[in-house]
This record gives sequence, C-alpha cells and structure tokens, in this order.
Amino acid sequence: MTTPRGPNPTSGTPGPLDVDVRPLLRAGDDPFQAIMEATSELAAGQSLRLIAPFRPVPLLSVMANRGFAASESALGDGDWEVLFSPVAAEPEEGLALGSSPAAIFWGEPAMELDLSNLDPPEPMVRILEALEELRPGEVLFALLAREPVFLFRELAKRQHEWAGNFDSAGIVYRLLVRHGGGARGHG
Amino acid sequence: MPMPSLSRWTMSYFAAALGCLLAAEGLAMLGIGYPAAGMSEPATLMLVHLVAIGWLSLAMAGALLQFVPVLAARPLASPYLALPTLMSLVAGLLLLCAGFATLAGWADVPLGLLPLGGLSLLGGLLLLVVMLCRTLAGLRRLDPFAGIIRGGLACLALTALGGAAFSTILSGRGGALGAFGTLLPGGLPFHALLGFGGWLGLIAFGVSYRLFAMFMIAPEPSGGRMNLLVTAAGMGLVLAAAGLGAPTVGLDGGSGLVATVSLLLALATGFYGRDMLTLYRSRRRKALEVNMLASLPAFAALGFGIGALPIALIAGAGEGFVAAASFLLVFGWLGGLTLAQLTKIVPFLTWLEAYAPRIGKGPAPRVGELLAARRPLVWFALYYGGTVLGSGALACGATLGFRLAMTLALAGTAGIAAEFVRVRRLSQVKAADRPPPHERPRLLLARADERSLSHDDPPRTQPHIRHARSPRC
Repeated sequence: MTTPRGPNPTSGTPGPLDVDVRPLLRAGDDPFQAIMEATSELAAGQSLRLIAPFRPVPLLSVMANRGFAASESALGDGDWEVLFSPVAAEPEEGLALGSSPAAIFWGEPAMELDLSNLDPPEPMVRILEALEELRPGEVLFALLAREPVFLFRELAKRQHEWAGNFDSAGIVYRLLVRHGGGARGHG
Repeated sequence: MPMPSLSRWTMSYFAAALGCLLAAEGLAMLGIGYPAAGMSEPATLMLVHLVAIGWLSLAMAGALLQFVPVLAARPLASPYLALPTLMSLVAGLLLLCAGFATLAGWADVPLGLLPLGGLSLLGGLLLLVVMLCRTLAGLRRLDPFAGIIRGGLACLALTALGGAAFSTILSGRGGALGAFGTLLPGGLPFHALLGFGGWLGLIAFGVSYRLFAMFMIAPEPSGGRMNLLVTAAGMGLVLAAAGLGAPTVGLDGGSGLVATVSLLLALATGFYGRDMLTLYRSRRRKALEVNMLASLPAFAALGFGIGALPIALIAGAGEGFVAAASFLLVFGWLGGLTLAQLTKIVPFLTWLEAYAPRIGKGPAPRVGELLAARRPLVWFALYYGGTVLGSGALACGATLGFRLAMTLALAGTAGIAAEFVRVRRLSQVKAADRPPPHERPRLLLARADERSLSHDDPPRTQPHIRHARSPRC
C-alpha cells in the first residue's frame, strides 16, 4: 500500500512516500493506524502523499498537530490526493531542544504561570504539578528565568510536548507545554 | 531528542575528590610536607598534587561533566569516556604519589612509575578536554562562558603536558625529552600558576557567573562585563604559558614574570569580585542558602590571598609569606568554594534523581530539605578556622601550629563529607517521603535509567493522536 519514491535529484531529500488507503477502505479496514505508521517512518523533510476515496478532513488537523501542512487536490470520481509536507523538520533557531514543531497549531493556554522568581528546580515542580491538573490536549504557558533543561527530560518521559525559547532580550524564557494525555501515575 | 541529563559518574568524582582532600589533610596533620619539608621536596609535591589533582581537579571535572551540558543545553559528548577518565586520573595520581614517595625515600618502587603516572594523568585530562570541548562545540553563538571554559581547558592541557615532562625529568629520564628536559626548575612556578590560576581559578570564575546567578535568582551579568576579566586573566595566563616554555629556548621567566602574572590575575580577580558583589546585591532570593553563605569566607580568602601574593613576590618576602598566600588561595578560595557549592550540587542532583520522577504523584521534599539546616555551618566554621590558622602558621613558620590547624580543617572536611553521605541516603527526609528502596539514589553513581533517555529518541508516539478520530469519520 505504501510506495516510497526515489530521492529528489535536486535536493537529496527523499521523494514523497505514497500511501493509497483505497484498498484498505474497500476491504473494510480502518486506515488510520497505517497512515500514522507511514508518518512515523518518514525521513527528515520527507513528505507523505495520501490517496483516499474522500476528502480526509479530520486527518488534516491530526497531521497539522504533527507539524505537516496539507495541499489537496481532487482526482475525480470522488478520490482525493493530499500532500502532507513537514512545516519544519528541525526546530526553529533558538527553540529549545526537543521543541515540538507543531506548537504553532496549539490552542490558547488553559493555564499561565509566572515562575521567573523561582530557582531550580522549583519551576519544574510547579509545571509538573500543574500538568497533573490539566486535561489531555490542554496547553500550559510559563515564564521562567532560564531554560529548564532537566524539565524537558521529565516532560519527554511523561509524553508531554513542549516548545520554548528566550524572549528577544534573552531575559525571560517562554515555555508552552501541551498535555500529552499519557503517563499518569508512572514516571 | 538528545538533552542534558544526570551525569552518571559525577558522584564518583566527588567521592574520590573528598577522599583525596581528607588524605592530604591527614598527611599534613601528621607533619608531612611543607613547612616540615622544603617547598619543592617530594613530600610537599605529593601533598600539593593530592590537593590539586585529587581534590580540586576531580571535583571540578565531576561538576563540569554535569553542568557544562546543562549550561550549554546540550547532552554531554562521549559520556562513555567519563569512567575511563576518572580511572586514568586516579591511577595516574597514585603512580605519581608512589614516585614521590620513592624520591622521598619512604618507598622503593621503580622511578619509571613517575612518568607513567604523568602520562596516565595527561591521558585522563585529555579525555576530559575532549568530552567538554565536543560538548561546547555544539554551541552556535560565541558565548563568553564557553570561552572561559575553553581557556581553562587549554591551561589544563599545558599544565598536564608540563607535569608529564617534569615527572620524566624527576625520574632521571629528562635526557630523552630533548629541549624539554630543561623545564625544571624554571618552569615550576608557571606550571602551578597555569594549574591553579588557569584551569581551576579561571573556570571557577566562569562557572560562578552562571551558577550563582541561578542559585540566588539574580540577573546574569552581561558578557561585556566578563570581557574585562577574560582580558586580564588571558594576558596573565599567556605570559604564564610563555614562562613555562621559556627554559626550552634557554630563557628563564624568573621571579619578575611570576610577579607580573600574579598581578594580572589579581586584576582579573578585582573584576570578578566586583561582578560577584553585584550578583549578591541584585539577588531576588534574599535569604542566603548554606552554599552561598559558606562561599563568603572563600571570597574573603581570595581577596586576601590574591592581594598578598604579588606583594609578597615583588617585595621578596620570605618563602613563608608566599606559601601562606598560596595556601589561602588553594584551601580558602578554591577548596572552600568547592566544598560550599557541593552543599548545593549534591542535594540538587540527588533530588533530581530521587524525586523528579515523583513530582505531581505524591509529596516530595524540597531540595534544601535533603541537607541538614545548621550542622554544615559548624563544619564550615571548623574548616575555614583551620584554613585561616594554617595560613597564619605558614607565614610565621610555625610547623606545629600548622599541624594543629590542619587537624581543625580535617575535622570540618570529614563533617561535610558525612553530610553528603546523609544527603545521598536521604537521611534528612521523613521516612514516609523516601522513595521505595530500589528507587533510592546509590551513594556513588546516578541510576542508569537517567542516561538512556538522554541519548535515545524520546517516545515517538504522540499520545494525543491515539485519541484522534479515524479520518473516515
């Protein structure tokens, strides 16, 4: 069902990975897992070309959350082709290591914390405690005095997503954390 | 995604370092080394290297392996070298001490062990330089902190190269070194200046800017303020490097150059002192914790020591005064500052190991609660009391007084070391708030599960997608 294409001769980036879900749907299977598996196999910068017998509207927001922009075209007979291209394969300059490229698509923060007057590890404690209060998908915004490097490790373990950077003056660190929905009760 | 994590071997470095300090203080208490022996006699050299390499360099290396990645927001490069580095340094130090013991006539081991020790130390220190420089190489912009660390590591490399040559000369094989066989005795004071002033001193300066701003919640001084310090110290240390190499071309740096280098280092210290004062005054955390309180005598020792050293050198004061000022700098400033900061670093790393995974899942103590509140201050009073008395005894040439002073310092150090053991064992924490036994920190090394996350990708699964609806809906 998935067909890798040869590398793009001009850029060296692999060509789009083709995923045709029409046979799966004809067989009565749910293609979602197959699409997600194909997405996780993409090389850095590689796009995914999806062919479906309808316009896959809900998938557009799922892929947007994973950092893909969509360009779609009707193929006729009700079939659609959607090309999902990675918005940013690498975090932007200045964004913290591990920052999610999808952060620009996150909603308004459900909670804002000013932790700039606390010394490590207190900001980490407050953020992890606050995340326990939030629901999956909700976003927390925090101001800190420095990059919370030890927090990132703990966020990754608990499967939350984050994006952070310093303000232009380099004084205040701004951090967005999106509740990943998993990993409650173990660490 | 790679990210900094707990350094696995840092506690082992700290433990080995404290062991060396206790050993050196114990030997001094027994009357071994200066002032009972001459300044450059083997017994003194053994003590000096136990302190410089065993105590200060191992503690500094352990701290850098943890904090350079944190301050550079990069994972440590080649972390698998941390243990070979420690083993190489400890083995090198033991061989070196065995060689000095033979030269002093206490033991009868082949003198060939002396250069072997020098080589083992050189190898270990170069491994350390490789790990730290590769970690800093990931930094995109030119950072004054990274510059100071690189400068300090360059001084370390020169000190270690000089030391390896010295050990070869002392073993009677100097002829094999060609022009480098002439490095002793002219290069010796510059070897000490590069080691204590460049590697240990300069890096202590650089790390203070970052860590103290963090500990006291003060605005970090701008890079511009550090430039004056870097310029003065840089000039001094380049001259020291020239002084170390001068004998190879038939020149002798001499006491004038030693005094000039120490004057430039004193000037750099002036800039550092000004910035540290600004940091203390602009701090937002008003109550000082044990680590910052116990650092205050270290700053005082730095001021007195670095002020007195060039004066003693220029005025041609006796050996005792130079020894007293140097002792104040090494034990009061570098040693005191290291012990003081360990009272923050050890509980902080222990807390991260034991409690970070538990936040939000139950009660967790604060970092400060891992360390006893008042008792460490008593130990520091003993340590600093012994250091001040010891410095006075050296200035007066009072051998017995120095031994008594070192007894006080030894008692203080032992007390502080015992507090660290209590921190690692979570002895101060209520029994109900301790993690289950299999999750508690081990005394000498951080748990391996911390390491795996730092060098592998985080889970690729993004759980919110699992709950998303099928595209068919």
